[in-house]
Amino acid sequence: MKLPSPAALSTALAAVIVLVAPHAAAQNKAEVIHWWTSGGESAAIQEIATAYKNAGGVWVDSAVAGGDAARAQAISRIVGGNPPTAAQFNTSKQYHDVIAEGLLNNVDAVAAKEGWESFLPAPIISSIKVKGHFYAVPVNIHMPAWFWYSKSAFQKAGITAEPKTPDEFFAALDKLKAAGLVPLAFGGQPWQENITFQDWLAQAGGAELYLKFFRDRDAATVASPAFRKVLTDFKRLKSYVDPGSPGRNWNDATSMVITGKAGVQIMGDWAKGEFLAAKQTVGKDFGCFPGFGPKSPYIIAGDVFVFPRTTDPAMIKSQQLLATVMTSPTTQVAFNNKKGSIPIRTDVDTSKMDPCAQLGLTIMKDKSRHLANPDMLITPDVAGALTDVITKYWNNDQSVDDVVKALQAAIKGS
Amino acid sequence: MSALASDTPSSVAVARQARPRPRRPWLTPARLGVYGFLAISAAFFLLPLYVMVATSLKTMDEIRLGAIFALPGKPAFDAWVQAWSSACTGLECRGIQVGFWNSVRIVVPSTVLSILVGALNGYALAFWRSRWAGGLFAVLLLGAFIPYQVFIYPLVRGLAFFGLFGSLTGIVLVHTVFGMPVMTLLFRNYYASLPQELFKAARIDGGNFWRIFLQLMLPMSTPILIVAVILQVTNIWNDFILGLVFAGRENQPMTVQLNNVINSTTGERFYNVNMAATMLTSLVPLLIYLVSGRWFVRGIAAGAVKG
Amino acid sequence: MEPIERKRAQRGPRFRWALNLALLPMALTVVFCYVGTMLWSVRISTTTSRTFPASDFVGLAQYVRLFNSERWLVSMENMVLFGAVFMTLTMLIGFLLAVFIDQKVRGESVLRTIFLYPYAMSFVATGLIWQWTLNPELGLQSALRRMGLTGFTFDWIVTQDKVIYTVAFAAVWQASGLVMALLLAGLRGVDDEIWKAARIDGIPAWRVYLSIVLPMIAPSVATALVLLFLSVVKAYDVVVAMTGGGPGTASEVPAKFILDYLFGRANIGLASAASTVLLLTATAALAPWMYARSRRERRVQRGAA
Repeated sequence: MKLPSPAALSTALAAVIVLVAPHAAAQNKAEVIHWWTSGGESAAIQEIATAYKNAGGVWVDSAVAGGDAARAQAISRIVGGNPPTAAQFNTSKQYHDVIAEGLLNNVDAVAAKEGWESFLPAPIISSIKVKGHFYAVPVNIHMPAWFWYSKSAFQKAGITAEPKTPDEFFAALDKLKAAGLVPLAFGGQPWQENITFQDWLAQAGGAELYLKFFRDRDAATVASPAFRKVLTDFKRLKSYVDPGSPGRNWNDATSMVITGKAGVQIMGDWAKGEFLAAKQTVGKDFGCFPGFGPKSPYIIAGDVFVFPRTTDPAMIKSQQLLATVMTSPTTQVAFNNKKGSIPIRTDVDTSKMDPCAQLGLTIMKDKSRHLANPDMLITPDVAGALTDVITKYWNNDQSVDDVVKALQAAIKGS
Repeated sequence: MSALASDTPSSVAVARQARPRPRRPWLTPARLGVYGFLAISAAFFLLPLYVMVATSLKTMDEIRLGAIFALPGKPAFDAWVQAWSSACTGLECRGIQVGFWNSVRIVVPSTVLSILVGALNGYALAFWRSRWAGGLFAVLLLGAFIPYQVFIYPLVRGLAFFGLFGSLTGIVLVHTVFGMPVMTLLFRNYYASLPQELFKAARIDGGNFWRIFLQLMLPMSTPILIVAVILQVTNIWNDFILGLVFAGRENQPMTVQLNNVINSTTGERFYNVNMAATMLTSLVPLLIYLVSGRWFVRGIAAGAVKG
Repeated sequence: MEPIERKRAQRGPRFRWALNLALLPMALTVVFCYVGTMLWSVRISTTTSRTFPASDFVGLAQYVRLFNSERWLVSMENMVLFGAVFMTLTMLIGFLLAVFIDQKVRGESVLRTIFLYPYAMSFVATGLIWQWTLNPELGLQSALRRMGLTGFTFDWIVTQDKVIYTVAFAAVWQASGLVMALLLAGLRGVDDEIWKAARIDGIPAWRVYLSIVLPMIAPSVATALVLLFLSVVKAYDVVVAMTGGGPGTASEVPAKFILDYLFGRANIGLASAASTVLLLTATAALAPWMYARSRRERRVQRGAA
């Protein structure tokens, strides 16, 4: 038999490569629905996408701003039979209904291989592990209630040290008021009022009280004197807020701190991005502390990615590759530095993280300070009902008794 | 001299040319009142536009100071350029231009189809007696009171059943379905206001259902067609949730990118870019409004009756 | 008499066929999309469905929860207040604008576009602008105070019982142009001869408008009213962009309640109940008008035959 000429051989080889190569690349194609669309968020997701590409995958981006809209699209596509490879949710109970319907693939294989049980914080594990299977991969930890303050405002008001107790905090606010500044920069939107209340409950009421309320849903706790004091103090914060606060966006409140017009803002660690965008440096122009005193609880919230159910082996492979890439130490650091949150694991290189994030990660090493975000403990429906009560309390003159009754009714819901 | 039945339009025109009427004084108190009202209204309507444009020309530092009525210190179109071509909308940072052609591909067939169906329905309901159609129309109109989002789950299942979920055909059908109540109402009321003699005459002359529609009613519908186009182009161009859910990844309209630019959850908000992006997105409907002016002319139906 | 009757009889079955064919899309849409969804929605409202439809049955439990919800009751009340202010002002301003623009003014195209452009813009951004403009610290109140009117107060947007009116205000700004366009189209169909006759008979312009023109453009007015009523019942974007339903829950509206429970709060059972109640309310409001209409039509039909 005559051998084919070298030219013919190489053409045939090229043809084979052309036929096989795209197929191979498409094998790790991953379409990801997420809601990170602004400049800083985009740079952050870029880190994960790059890491995924370097691991041999093809990232197809489907970004939809607004958590509700993104989740609505993800669920519609799952229902419609055209699911994405991965979809973003919050570390919460949002996707538990989807799990219950059997519409998600589990990532037990990746969890076992990477040893998630060994380094993930307990609150996160309880959110992503349902009935013994892992259904979501966490990518970050956001703390929804840091205290951000303007150094110049504190100086002007004569405040020399960060407040270590609720009383010191109120004293500082009084000093800011006396100096003619807006003590507490605030945006009057239900979710902001809500996280302020939740944080005050955790910081001033204590982790025990917080868990009795959110985890145990104990109605008697609501009527206790400690809880009532939390409610009264929470409302007291309102007197330190400027009259233009209703409806204000959170970043406009941050702007008030940035420009030195206001003293303090209670906001999640994503506020750091605003300070950095305004070219301010921590320690010089602004400061951050996560709570009162050296043992303050650290509320854990964050984002996860879930994997819609599919039997397509190529898609399953992509899902597992995604899960692996997302939790690797290098990706975690690169992503969270850009995002403003902290990595899900403490065994990472912290040298490139800014001081606030480093502080957060150090605190994470202390398991006794871990506190689950309410969204991990209650359904979205109950969370919504509580928000309605809190926002009404914040904006109206209501007696504490009425609020207690309303909270008891709301926390009872299914 | 009776100005009524005896005069035909042409003879009136001739008469007007032959006998030049004394020109009425231009600036009567009535005229002043008219212009005054229009000027004040225009100012009220334009105030938000001023704030939008001013904000889009400022830098973020200026905006942070919070003086919304102040003129921009050093007006710059950077925000506009950024909004169009480099604002981040996810992994990509290519601005809102990405979805422009998708929006066009969705708007054109959806507008044409929904207006045609609405006109046909309106014509059938206005001139041709059909009891069950009247009842259907009532139900259709009531259905318009349900927010679109309530329909999403059933429609997703339905379209998926026909293999149309996430396709251009799917989104065009969805827009037609949701446009049907208002379009039908629009045309039905318009045709009902036309003189019945027209229709009766056409029937006597031998016109059948389709001929009367295509050759008589549709050409006479110009003013209401303009309003229908304004309504549908605006609603479909600015639609977000239906395009998001039903159009499919390849056909995502511009409003999805616009939403991505404006509504970042925990990212920074660049108000100048947001305003610029919103104004850029609204240019297409605005263009339609400007161009439609030619057809807001008087006397189409009136002329037909007299003729 | 005879030949026409024969012709009509001849054309009978064919025109029925054409008519039914033409109405088929509407029939299919109504039955499968609209009625189907309405029935499905009612069924879901009798279950405890959360993110996905469930198949249990809890009777009217969701409706009980709905009417015990203070937020829902505030929403309904706000819808009525918003609707009354919005519809009245928009019709009035739209009508006046249409009439005045119809007076052969110079620059009609420009004016028309000035009044229509708000409708072209997505409310997400324009709502924010209105929020800034009406905010006492950022907007009109502080600007006018700085200009000298130190006593001027306009902080409705942060006041519990007045905020819904600011929302109506912004909505009027957005919708007046559309009503103007609609009524202008109607006005342009009014015979020029009417004006001549009226002028000769010495009737003042405003009376012509009120007693003669307005009845003539009644169909356009009816269309405008229905469109506005639809906007009232479905009002969502304007509230979310301007006030987020606040301060607190003071500017909540039914459509926002439904959507919050449909998506964010993952309770489609309650959302469906709310949607059904909203639909019944709209039906109750429209039913008398529709009934009067059909009675009038049947009388006309009987008279013509």
